[in-house]
Amino acid sequence: MALTITCPICGKRNGYEFRFGGEEKGPRPAEHELNPETWCDYVHNNNCAAGVQNEWWFHRDGCGSWFTIFRNTLTNLEVDGPEETNE
Amino acid sequence: MNRFYQLPTLRIDPTRKKTFTYLGKTYQGVDGDTVAAALYANGIRIFARSLKYHRPRGLYSMDGECSNTCMEVDNIPNVRAENTLLKNGMTVKAQNVKGTPEKDFMGFMDKMSWAMPAGFYYNTMHKPASIWPIALKQIRKVAGLGKLAPDFEMTGKYDEIFPTADVCVIGGGPAGMNAALAAAENGLRVILLESRPWLGGFFEYRAAQYQNETPLFQRARDLAKQVADTPDIRTFTHTAMVGAYNNNLITAFQTGGADDSFDQRYIEIRAQSVVVATGCIERPLLFENNEKPGIMQIACAHRLARTYGLLPGEKAVFSIGHDLGLEAAIDLFDLGLKISCVADIREDGQDPDLVEIMRRKKIPLLRGWVATDAHGKKTLNKVTLSTLQGTRDKEFACDLLVASAGMTPVTGPLAVAQAELCFDNHTGFFLPANLPVKMHAAGRMLGLNDALAIEASGRSAGLLAAADCGSSVDTSLNEARADLENLPGPVKGSKMVTAPVKGDKTFICFDEDTTVKNIKQAIKKGFDVAELIKRFTSASTGPGQGGIPGHNLPLFVAQYNADPDVSAKPTTIRPPLVPTFIATYAGANHDMCKRTPLDALQKKAGGVFRRIGVWSRARYFSQDFTCRDEIENVRNNVGLFDASTLGKFRIWGPDALKALQRVYVGDMSKIADGKIKYSAMCNEDACIIDDGVVIKRGENDYYFTTSTARAGAAVEWIRYHTRYDGWNFNMVNLTDALGVINLAGPNARKVLAKVTDADISNDAFPYAGYREFKIKDTIPVRVMRLGFVGELSYELHTPSSYMPALWEILEDAGSEFGIRNFGLEAQNVLRMEKCHLIIGAESEQRTTLHDVGLGFLWDRTKTDTKTVGAFALKQTEKQDGRLKLVGFKMENSDARAPRDGSIIVDSKIRGYVCIARNSHTLNEVVGLALVDESLAETGTKLEIYEDECGDERLYAVVALTPFYDPDAKRLKM
Ligand SMILES: [Zn+2]
Repeated sequence: MALTITCPICGKRNGYEFRFGGEEKGPRPAEHELNPETWCDYVHNNNCAAGVQNEWWFHRDGCGSWFTIFRNTLTNLEVDGPEETNE
Repeated sequence: MNRFYQLPTLRIDPTRKKTFTYLGKTYQGVDGDTVAAALYANGIRIFARSLKYHRPRGLYSMDGECSNTCMEVDNIPNVRAENTLLKNGMTVKAQNVKGTPEKDFMGFMDKMSWAMPAGFYYNTMHKPASIWPIALKQIRKVAGLGKLAPDFEMTGKYDEIFPTADVCVIGGGPAGMNAALAAAENGLRVILLESRPWLGGFFEYRAAQYQNETPLFQRARDLAKQVADTPDIRTFTHTAMVGAYNNNLITAFQTGGADDSFDQRYIEIRAQSVVVATGCIERPLLFENNEKPGIMQIACAHRLARTYGLLPGEKAVFSIGHDLGLEAAIDLFDLGLKISCVADIREDGQDPDLVEIMRRKKIPLLRGWVATDAHGKKTLNKVTLSTLQGTRDKEFACDLLVASAGMTPVTGPLAVAQAELCFDNHTGFFLPANLPVKMHAAGRMLGLNDALAIEASGRSAGLLAAADCGSSVDTSLNEARADLENLPGPVKGSKMVTAPVKGDKTFICFDEDTTVKNIKQAIKKGFDVAELIKRFTSASTGPGQGGIPGHNLPLFVAQYNADPDVSAKPTTIRPPLVPTFIATYAGANHDMCKRTPLDALQKKAGGVFRRIGVWSRARYFSQDFTCRDEIENVRNNVGLFDASTLGKFRIWGPDALKALQRVYVGDMSKIADGKIKYSAMCNEDACIIDDGVVIKRGENDYYFTTSTARAGAAVEWIRYHTRYDGWNFNMVNLTDALGVINLAGPNARKVLAKVTDADISNDAFPYAGYREFKIKDTIPVRVMRLGFVGELSYELHTPSSYMPALWEILEDAGSEFGIRNFGLEAQNVLRMEKCHLIIGAESEQRTTLHDVGLGFLWDRTKTDTKTVGAFALKQTEKQDGRLKLVGFKMENSDARAPRDGSIIVDSKIRGYVCIARNSHTLNEVVGLALVDESLAETGTKLEIYEDECGDERLYAVVALTPFYDPDAKRLKM
């Protein structure tokens, strides 16, 4: 309940306003690349990191955006992500 | 009882009387009284009986720190009488008594205490296991204090707010007020919480001198005025802080005053920085019969007089360990209390000024003495004092014993915030050793006693909090710190835990009736840590949590063990820090429901409304809940149905089609102009989550419907599954902007033709067609020829504001054809007869598109669209062991319909009945069920088990579907 989340459009808001959308795993592989194992990995298996993870949130009671944040699952607080590197 | 009416510290208005009843008798209190104060004013001394031994209990702390004064108020049990303001007409009852608190028939339990050592239940009920059910019943009977009537309904108004602040200050005493003022001076927004109905804390009721002839209570009022005059400080009084969570989230409960719109309010505060200045309570003095009514703590006695105008007794003995005790003795003496003796645990170190005043007033003072026993049958009549070593003793007759071992900080807020607390030898306090980030402690809880030091400490904490919020406070902070250093620091505290007694009737925890003897028994059994002893003896597991035993239990354990390795550690306490109604946590009633644009019209038409999901909907239009007339009229004439709750969406933009292809299982590129396309959405597991129709209204511009239940999640779902693609499309939820009327029945065309010039003949507007035209040249409608109820029907979508007009026009036009409303239940039966599905009724979380027989909707050729669920649709297409949707009829034609949700069994559970009704149209019972594949063959017998039906079973047979109009002629009429 103490979680706050920074929406890219609305800014830092109460965590109650958002819905969790799972770990960031990248786009779903194309159908021909899928077999039951890779499908299962993509849809159901999670890393469940004890620490910082990148994850999706939906601003349900706000602007309706889907976006990712970094959250420390041990403290349940939003944290800064790793430094963005220039390619 | 005579009351003081002139003291400047009073918080009562004696001219405003309040009437209440206690145990059926009528009493009077005055405005400002708590329930406890009003009872005390009326001579009530015994407020309750204790949990286990039914010992009489009375006023002790005046702050509700134990269950002594938990009472039943207006049928609500466990109300803290010391914290609850008296209201006119209140009904008050004592708890845990058989008879009255004065004459309790369970009083003999006190004599049985020898038979119930610590861990009694653990030990006795341990073996054999067969005793558990019996023991459980007996224990249940005696466990707990209050009683709830089975038909009890909580009354009152409960609210909630979620304010934010830069700084949240917990505790409205001198330190807290200084902290709040210091932070506000730096331009910060401050929230100040105080558990009593007024600010002032330890200063608030005391007449002792603050500075330059100003008494402490005046200083408290001056500070409170400054706070009130500071707009950036938002003060919540009568508000107990109950929880702290990370990110400095603070929760509290506020009791509403006479002018508030609520009785209790849940407050959740987000603050950047937090100051805890909760001060001290008194540490109970442990001696024999230390909780007999007539024994109370210093502040309790002092506040009875100073705040409520009640002299706490006639003849008193004091046994104290802190200068506050001497101060109170002098003040109460001046107010007329006779004092036989003041025993001070401390051999020396008293404030010489106070000692001198006592000498002048001839109040006897014994240093190094302590109370060892309290006498009296039910209430106090005599006290034994002895030297600390127990070498000499003296007895004094009295009706009041003011007893207190010393001070102990209110560390609850720090503890729930996960601060590390360490025992400090000098103060004898548990002091914060490691505070969470952006949290500060201040004031008396740090061991300070000097009034100016307490204020300086609060000021400095307020500045630190301001610094947390980015204010530059260096200069003022240095000043405040310098001030603090020049003022007296923490005072040496008394560490005495128990008088020299055996402890058989020395209560360390009042709530749970735990004695010092019980603690010794637990230690003998090998428990050496307070945290474990707490569980074994249940000390400090009552409503007061660590209030009364919080400090004494760990201290006693450490001293008794005399083990240098076992340093005193406080036991864990958890939110809520004070007893709280569940109703307060629940807060305001969130149950909001939506009404359709036809709500008023349908109510006028006799609609019987039910709450369905987020909507209030007309379920029936008569008291015949089988809806026979409504159904027959749709089948034979024409009916009107309000389908406004359907989810309705526009999606448009260059990539709109791609988004539709992603979420719908069908091929959305093949939507013909003027046609509707029925399709479904699945999740990645191929489970069906929604069905609806899609219409192409223009280039890259689509209109689609979802089921009522899915309307709230559709946009989120589509955005989620396209979140990586960066597609350019827009969506808007039109569910509330548009209403829908379903005009259904063989006469539907005749009705519609009367109100539009558009050609709606079967050739011009066939089944599955879509048209847009106007009704009476005015009302724009989007019309779909669908057949959900199995008849010729037109679904008319129109802006919500036109809905009532459209409804009346159709009703008018249809009157010659016998048009009438039909409700949700009629629709449910009609569509079931036709075997049209409702997702969620004929499916559950694990039901796939294939299971409900809609696999044909899936277009397996569009493999490049990454359709959600497509892979699993392939995988589950021929999967074994699934529940399949079937229709059924009853084996005996006169059998009744099984209840929705009944289970289909053989030796195991094989499925369940989704819906079954006695069909008037078909003249037999029909239904739909999800059954094991092996039972899905037509003609298979199904055995149906209803909840609580015993050995009785209903038998059905799998039947061909649809039951009604299998050739689908009627909807194409
Ligand atoms: Zn947002």
